[in-house]
Amino acid sequence: MENFRKHSGLKRSILIVEDEAVNRDILGFILEDSYDVSYAENGQIALDMIRASEQPYSLILLDLMMPVMDGYTLLSTLKEDDKYKYIPVIVLTAEKNAEVKSIKLGAADFIKKPYDMPEVIMARCERIIELYEDQKIIRSTERDELTGLYSRNFFYEYVKQIEELDSNNKRDALVLNVDHFRLVNEIYGHEEGDRVLRFIADSLKDIFAEDASIICRSDADNFYISCIHRDDYRDHLERIQDKLDKIDISHKIRIRAGVNINLEEIVSVATRFDRAKAACDRIRGDFTRNIAYYSKDILKQVIFHERLINEMGKGMEDGDFVVYFQPKYLIKGDEPKLTSAEALIRWKHPELGMINPGEFIPLFENNGLIQKLDNYVWSKAAAKIRDWKDRLGVSVPVSVNVSRIDIYDSAFEDKLMNILKENDITPEDLLIEITESAYSENAGGLLKVVNSLRNKGFRIEMDDFGSGYSSLNMLTVMPIDIIKMDIGFIRNMTKDEKSKRLVELIINIAQFLKLRVVAEGVEDKDQLEMLKGMGCDIVQGFYFSKPLPAEEFEALF
Amino acid sequence: MLTIDNLNELGANTGEGLKRCMGREDMYLKLVPRALNDTNFEKLKEAVGEGDLTAAFEAAHALKGVSGNLSLTPIFDKSEEITELLRIKSDADYAVLVEELIGIRDRFRALCE
Repeated sequence: MENFRKHSGLKRSILIVEDEAVNRDILGFILEDSYDVSYAENGQIALDMIRASEQPYSLILLDLMMPVMDGYTLLSTLKEDDKYKYIPVIVLTAEKNAEVKSIKLGAADFIKKPYDMPEVIMARCERIIELYEDQKIIRSTERDELTGLYSRNFFYEYVKQIEELDSNNKRDALVLNVDHFRLVNEIYGHEEGDRVLRFIADSLKDIFAEDASIICRSDADNFYISCIHRDDYRDHLERIQDKLDKIDISHKIRIRAGVNINLEEIVSVATRFDRAKAACDRIRGDFTRNIAYYSKDILKQVIFHERLINEMGKGMEDGDFVVYFQPKYLIKGDEPKLTSAEALIRWKHPELGMINPGEFIPLFENNGLIQKLDNYVWSKAAAKIRDWKDRLGVSVPVSVNVSRIDIYDSAFEDKLMNILKENDITPEDLLIEITESAYSENAGGLLKVVNSLRNKGFRIEMDDFGSGYSSLNMLTVMPIDIIKMDIGFIRNMTKDEKSKRLVELIINIAQFLKLRVVAEGVEDKDQLEMLKGMGCDIVQGFYFSKPLPAEEFEALF
Repeated sequence: MLTIDNLNELGANTGEGLKRCMGREDMYLKLVPRALNDTNFEKLKEAVGEGDLTAAFEAAHALKGVSGNLSLTPIFDKSEEITELLRIKSDADYAVLVEELIGIRDRFRALCE
């Protein structure tokens, strides 16, 4: 800051308002080397000059007793005007009484009469200009423009200050985030996204009006709150969610919180919020919980996840990601017949060994990296299909997963078509698996993509069918080809009558609609026989085979 | 002649006055005649004559300010005395006080001729 002021070479302008020419000249003489000095001999002339000037004055030196318009009148006029109220005014006076009145009207400082020595006058002018410029910077940066909440760095500083002033009250760090907020921007546009963010900000202001809370928008859809410790935030969350449920948008806005209870531990404010955020990130996409509390385990997991994110690119380059194929068998005839496969990704990390896809797929889904991985799998699967045709003369369709984020990618279909072209295969060779939850999230968008893909000849497989809330409703509008039942039903159907009935029901509906049904996660003969009896078409699972590397999969042909 | 020494002889604290003018004698000696020719001397006399104590206060206050800044001590002292009396609208013989002030002023003015 110091350097910026000294070296910027900016000459700031000062307006001296004083009716006595001699006094004006003395001040001007002192200041003119360092400042652009203008003069006015009464308040009215000064006001006219201030209004006419393009560049705002950096400082006004103001005498009080003047003809036409006195100093008090000018001072109060300026301070009532939003445009001029931040110009600092130093009052020139000999009177103690005048000082009190001037301070009340908003004067920044005083210069005594007879004048102090030039050095003192210079120092006062410099100090006040600096102070007001700093305040101006603070005013323009301490708040987030969109929501009016604090911006992060100021928020951290203010939390520190509050804690120093009120050390008796322990404070908690809360981080709130909207699940898949990026999709709101993608689907409805940024303006609508901004409206939602403002709505959330206003809700938070309202709900956290007590407990000496202060709130900031850290970035995007991350809101940070510091408030006096309480044992339970469920009520707060519920109230926020209630408000959000009433916002006029067809998308369900779901909010999550990460809480770092700070009772004893002494760590920096920023670290506490980083940790609350880590807790919040951990339950992203978990519809069963909306509050997570920070713990040491979370920290370990965060570090692990960061490593996975950082090393994904290199892993792809080095070929550590390998596409496995899990066969699907047609069980209609007497003998099960290999009909297709599902492409599944495996990460053989050089140091960490085989990483469970359950570990990295949700992670990459959350930060969008999944798109890269999906593309990778599509290409590798397509290349294998080509290879099998060429080398073995076999055509085995392979299902590939399409993530929610792909649906919103305007280049999605082009990417798929390019892969087909590069490998000289047809849409019949690649089955497209889309998870059912994509429908409840963005039915309109998904419908458009599905229609367009089907027009090109792709077959659509609805994954995790029955897991969402809108499964039946979806069947009436979504032109799909294959239903893939949610794995949970299959797992439970030999133990639990309800699951069994549901499986039966889904199969009946599929038959009625002339859709094929796939059961995945089939692990034993009982399950297989039960499904066969119900009329299920296709089965996938460990009973037949776990996912296999391409060369082992080929052996099944 | 208007010189630092002559001003000192009449009781001005030129050392202080010069400091306010960044030690520049030419500047200081240019401002002193302007202070001595200030129309507020006449305004003060007129206002006192008319019994307009508010206008008289304003004029005296202005003279005090200017003479103070140039450290023309005798003028400052007298105008301050008058200002303070006028501030509380004291029942004083302002005509006499103003004559005294103008007398001091004139002695300074004589240096300019």
